[in-house]
Amino acid sequence: MTDPMPPAAPTALAAEPVGPAASPPDRPSLPPGRWIRENLFPNARNSILTVFAILVALFTYRGLLNFMFSEERSWIAVRTNLRLMFTQAYPEHQYIRVWVTVGLVVVLAGLSAGIWARWGGVTLKRLMGWLMSGGGLVAVGVLIREPSVLTDAAGETVRDDVGELVRESFAAAMADRWVWWAAALVLFGLGLALWLRFDDLARRTSEIPVAWLVFGLPGLLVASTWVIRYGHYAFADGEFIAEPGQLVAMSTRVPWTVIWLLLVGCFGIGRVARSRAIASSQAVPDAADDDEGAEDEAAPELPRGALAKTRAIVNLAWVLSPFFLYWVVMRDPEIDYAHVFSTMLPMGLAFGVVGSAVLWWLTRSDAGEVGRLAAIGLLLLAAFHWVAAFFGWYSMLQVARIAFLLLAVAGLLAPNFAGVAAQRRRLVGAWLFVVLLVFYGATVINAPSTIETPTDMFIGGFSVTLLVSVLTIMLSFPIGVLLALARTSRQPIFRVLSTVYIEVIRGVPLITLLLFFSGVLPLFLPDGMEIAELAAAILGYTLFSAAYLAENVRGGLQSIRRGQYEAADAVGLTTTQRTGFIVLPQSLRVSIPPLVGQVIATFKETSLLAIIGLFDFLRMANSVVPNQSQFLGVRREGLLFISVVYWVVAFAMSKYSQRLEQRVGLGQR
Amino acid sequence: MSDPRAPDRDASLSTLGTRPPFYRDATVVRWIAQVGTLILVLAALWFLATEAGDSLRARGANIDFDFISDHIGIKVGWGIDTNPDSGGRALWVGMVNTIRMAAAGIALASVVGVLVGLARLSSNWPLRRLAGVYVEALRNIPLLVQILVYAAVLASLPNVSFDMGPIPGWVHLSNKGLSIPRVFVADGFYQWAVVMLIGGVIARVVFKRLAARREQTGMQTNAGAWATGIVAVFAIVGWWVHPIFGWLGGVFGGLSDAVGSIPQGVVQLVAALAAAGVAVWWIRRFLAQHRTPAGLVRLTDDDWFRMIFAVAGAAIVVLFVAVLWPGLSSWIVNSSSDGLGVLADKFGNGRTGAPIDAMRPDIVQPGNFPNYGPAGLNLPIGFAAVYFGVVFYTAAFIAEIVRGGILAVPKGQSEAAQAVGLRRSTALRRVILPQALRVILPPVGNQYLNLTKNTSLAIAVGYSDLVQIGQTVYNQTGKTLQVMAVWMLFYLACSLTISAAVNFFNIRLRIVER
Repeated sequence: MTDPMPPAAPTALAAEPVGPAASPPDRPSLPPGRWIRENLFPNARNSILTVFAILVALFTYRGLLNFMFSEERSWIAVRTNLRLMFTQAYPEHQYIRVWVTVGLVVVLAGLSAGIWARWGGVTLKRLMGWLMSGGGLVAVGVLIREPSVLTDAAGETVRDDVGELVRESFAAAMADRWVWWAAALVLFGLGLALWLRFDDLARRTSEIPVAWLVFGLPGLLVASTWVIRYGHYAFADGEFIAEPGQLVAMSTRVPWTVIWLLLVGCFGIGRVARSRAIASSQAVPDAADDDEGAEDEAAPELPRGALAKTRAIVNLAWVLSPFFLYWVVMRDPEIDYAHVFSTMLPMGLAFGVVGSAVLWWLTRSDAGEVGRLAAIGLLLLAAFHWVAAFFGWYSMLQVARIAFLLLAVAGLLAPNFAGVAAQRRRLVGAWLFVVLLVFYGATVINAPSTIETPTDMFIGGFSVTLLVSVLTIMLSFPIGVLLALARTSRQPIFRVLSTVYIEVIRGVPLITLLLFFSGVLPLFLPDGMEIAELAAAILGYTLFSAAYLAENVRGGLQSIRRGQYEAADAVGLTTTQRTGFIVLPQSLRVSIPPLVGQVIATFKETSLLAIIGLFDFLRMANSVVPNQSQFLGVRREGLLFISVVYWVVAFAMSKYSQRLEQRVGLGQR
Repeated sequence: MSDPRAPDRDASLSTLGTRPPFYRDATVVRWIAQVGTLILVLAALWFLATEAGDSLRARGANIDFDFISDHIGIKVGWGIDTNPDSGGRALWVGMVNTIRMAAAGIALASVVGVLVGLARLSSNWPLRRLAGVYVEALRNIPLLVQILVYAAVLASLPNVSFDMGPIPGWVHLSNKGLSIPRVFVADGFYQWAVVMLIGGVIARVVFKRLAARREQTGMQTNAGAWATGIVAVFAIVGWWVHPIFGWLGGVFGGLSDAVGSIPQGVVQLVAALAAAGVAVWWIRRFLAQHRTPAGLVRLTDDDWFRMIFAVAGAAIVVLFVAVLWPGLSSWIVNSSSDGLGVLADKFGNGRTGAPIDAMRPDIVQPGNFPNYGPAGLNLPIGFAAVYFGVVFYTAAFIAEIVRGGILAVPKGQSEAAQAVGLRRSTALRRVILPQALRVILPPVGNQYLNLTKNTSLAIAVGYSDLVQIGQTVYNQTGKTLQVMAVWMLFYLACSLTISAAVNFFNIRLRIVER
C-alpha cells in the first residue's frame, strides 16, 4: 500500500466499523474532489464496486420511477379509495367521529411531545445536505426516467406498426418535465443559499431544533391544501370528481388544518407545563426523589414532583384512550339508561363505598393476621361466585364477579400499603378508580353500537390495523411480564407451565394460530356464547405476542444482578415489593429496545388479518380495490401505497427505539 | 398475590421464635399457589375440551384420524404428487413443499444476508449506503405485503404463448411462473451412487494417510487434491460401468420378501423398540455429557425440555408405528410395496442408462390454456413470490446480525491479522468471520426458524405448502382440529430440528474456542 493518505487505505469488505461511531461528528469536511477520490475511487477494486453499486442504485431508482409514472398506472384508484383504505365505509354523516378520534390522539401526542421531548437539533450542515441531495435526487430521476408515451387527441396511447408504444424524444421529455426541474432547482438552490449564507464551520454546525422540522413540514403540507386542490376524489355518474360532498368532515383541508393547529397548540401547552413544573420543583427541592439517578447524565433536570405527576396523567390518558376512543367515540354506544340507573349505578356505588371501607379497615396498622385471613376469605368468596355461576347454582352479574375478584386482590395487596395514612388513601383512591373503570367499561362495551355501516364490519382498513396492534400490545404486555416472571421463578410448576406455553407458541407459525382462533375457537365456547371475529383475532394475536414479549422481558430479568435481589431482601422488602419496585423497573428498562422491536413486529403482523378474511389495510389494497368495477385488477398501485405507509410507521418506530436506546444509556456502561 | 414473606410489622414479641401459622409459611403458601394455578389451568383445559367434544358431537363429527388413509378427492397445485389419493398423502405433499421452500430459502437467505451484512461494513461509500437502504427498506415492510407485491408483479408478466413443444431457450418466464430445465435422477442413478460411495470411502482412507504423512514429515502431500481426484475418477468411470451393480436389485428383492414374510406385528414391535432404544441411548449420552468428576451438572430447564422432547418424539414414533403403520409407507413413497421393495426396483438389472439426465422446458395445452409441460422444472408464481419474499426479508435481518457479529470481534484481532501480514480477504475469512460466527450463529438460527414458519404465508398466494393443503383438507373433511394438530407437530419438529442443528454447530465452535 503506497497510499500516503492518513486514513488507513480503504479496502472493500473490510471488517472494520465504519458506522457513525467511527467518524467523530466535528471532523472537518473535505473538499468534494478529494472526498470523491478518497471514498469512491481509491483503488481499482473499490472503483469497480463503486460503479457496480451506483449502477444497481440507478437501475432500481429508474425502475421505480418508470413504474410510478407509467401511463398504465391508475393512481386514481388509490386516490379515490383513500378514505376506504383508512376507515372502510364509515358513514359519511358520522365522519366527524373519525376526526374527533384523530384529534384526540393528536392532542395527546402534542402534549407528550411537549412534556417529554428532549429533542436534539439538526445541524445546518445536515439540513443543507438533505436539501441539496434531495434536489440532486429529483434531477437524476428526471434525467433517467424513460420518455413518456405519446397520446393522441382522444387520450389513447399511440402505437407504431409493430405494436410498440411510441415515446416522445428525450429533449421533449426534458422540456415536458419543467415542473420537476423547477422543484430540483428550488431544493438545490435552498441548500446552496444556506451553504453560502453560513460559510464558516462554527455556524454550519449550529443546530436548529428538530421540532421546527417535525411541525414545519406537515404545516407546509397542510398549508398547501389551501392552494392546491389535491382533493379527495370520488367516482360519480361515470366520472371522477374532486372534493365531493358538502360536509366539512368530508373535505380535507379544514380538518387537517384544525388537527395541525391542535398539534402545535398542545405541544406549546406541554412545553409550558414542563417548564412550570420544573420551576416549581426547583423552588421546592424534593430530596426524596434521588432514585432517578439513571437519567441524570443525560438530563440536566429530573422529573420530580409536579412534572412526574403531569407525566403520570398523560400516560394514563394514553392507556385509556384506545378503549375510550373505540368504544365511545367510534361506536357511539346506545346506553340503556334504565339498566344503568337500576343496576349498574347502585352496584358500582355499593362496591365503591363498601370496598373502600373494607380496604381502609384492612390497611389499619393493627390489622395483622385477622386482616390477612379476611382477605383470603374474600378471595375464596369471589372464587366461589365464579364456580357457582359455572355450575349454574345461581349467577351473579359478571361485572359484579369481576369487581369481587378485584376487591379480593386489592385486599391481598393491602399489607403493602398499611400504616401510613397517605398510602392508605392511595390504595382506596386506586380502588375507587378501578371500580369506576370496570363499571363504566362494562356499561359501554355491552351497549350496542348506533353507527350503521353497509357491511357487518364496523371499521376497517388502516383503522383496524391500528386498533388490533394497539390492543394487542396493551393486552399482551401484562401477560408477557407475568409469563417472564413465571419462567424465571424458582417455583417448578409455574416455570414448567410458562415454559411449555412460550415454547409451543413460539414454535408454530402465527397464521395457524389465527386460523385456529378465527375458525375453531367457536367450537370451544359454551352454547350461546359467541365471540366476534375481530375479538377472536385480537385474542390470537395477544396470546402469540405475549410469548415473544415474555422472552424479551426474560432477557431483561436475567440481566439483573443477584446483588439487587439480596439488597432488596436485606431492607426487608416483600417479594411483591421487590419485584414491583426493584427488579421489574430495571429489567424493563434494559428490555426497551427488544420490546419496541416486538411492537414493530406486531404492527407488521397485523397484515395477516387479510388472510383470515378481515378487512384490514392490506386486504383493502389487495382485494377490495382490485374488485371494484372501475378499477378491475388495479393491485400493484395499492400495494405500493400501503407498503409506503407501513414502512413510514415501522421506520419511525425503529428510529425512535434507537434514540431511546441511546437515551436510557444502554451499551454505554 | 399473597405474600408469604411480608415482615410482620405488628408482631408482638411473644410470637418471636415460634413457627408461623401454616398460611404464612412460605413453602406452604408457594405450593398452594402453584397447585392452585395448576388446577385452574387443567380445569380450564378440561372445560374447553368438553365443550369442543360436545359441539363436535352435536355436528356429528368425530375426533379420528380416518382422513389420513381415506380417499379424499383433492388436487394439489404443485408438488411431488398432484393427485394424492389420501388425506395423509396430501399432507405429506404439503410437508415436502414446505421443507423444500424452507431449505432453498435458508440457503439463499444466508448467502444474501452475509453479502449484504459485509457490504454494510464495506469502506466503499456507495456500496455501504446501498446495503443500508436494502436493510431499512425490506425489514420495515410486512412480509405478507412483500410476497403479494412479488406475486402481483409476476402475475403481470406476459402469458404463455401458443407455440407448443419444447422451448428454444433454457429458461422461460411468464405469468404461469418460471420454467427451467429439469435435471432428474435417471435410470442408473442408484447403482452409480454405490460406485461413488466406494470411491468416497477409498478417497477418505487416502486422505487420512496423506494428511498423517504431512503431519509427520511436513512435506506438502496435496491430500485434498488426491481425494477429490479419486472421487472424480470413480464418478467418471462409474458413469458407464455402473450396471455391474445390477445384482444388488436381487439382494434387496430377497430382503424385501424376507421382511414381508415376517408378521406385521413383529415389524411394528421392532420399529417401536428401535425408536425407544434411540431415545434411551440419546438421553444416556446427553447425561454423560453433563457429568463431571464432581457429579452431574445442575440441569437447566432447556436441558430438561430437550430430554422430555426426546421422550415425546420417541413416543410419537411408537404411536405412529403402532396405529398408523399400514398407511405410513403408502403416503411417503406412494406405492404399495415397502421401502426395500422400492430399492429392489431401483437397482433392477435392466437399468443401464445414464445416471442423471436433463430435459428442456416445454409447453403443452391440456385444457383451454397453454401451460408448461412436465418436461421442465416448473416453479409457479406462488413459489417464486413466497421464495423471494422470505429470502429477501430474512436476508435483511441476517445482514444486521452479521454486521453486529463482526463489529463484536475486538478491533485488535483485525489489527493483529494485518500485522502478521495477512491480506484483508484472508484475515476476514480466517480470523474475523470464525470469531464472529460464534456471536452470529444463535440469532441466525432463530432467523432460520422464522423463515421456516414464514413459509406458511404461502396460503395467501396459493403455493401448496402444508398450511394451504391442510386448509383444503379440513374444508373438505371437517377435521379441523386434527389437521391443526398435524400442523403443530410438524412445525414443532421443524423448530426442534433447526435448533438442534444450530446447537450442534454452536458446540463445535465452542470447542474450537478452548
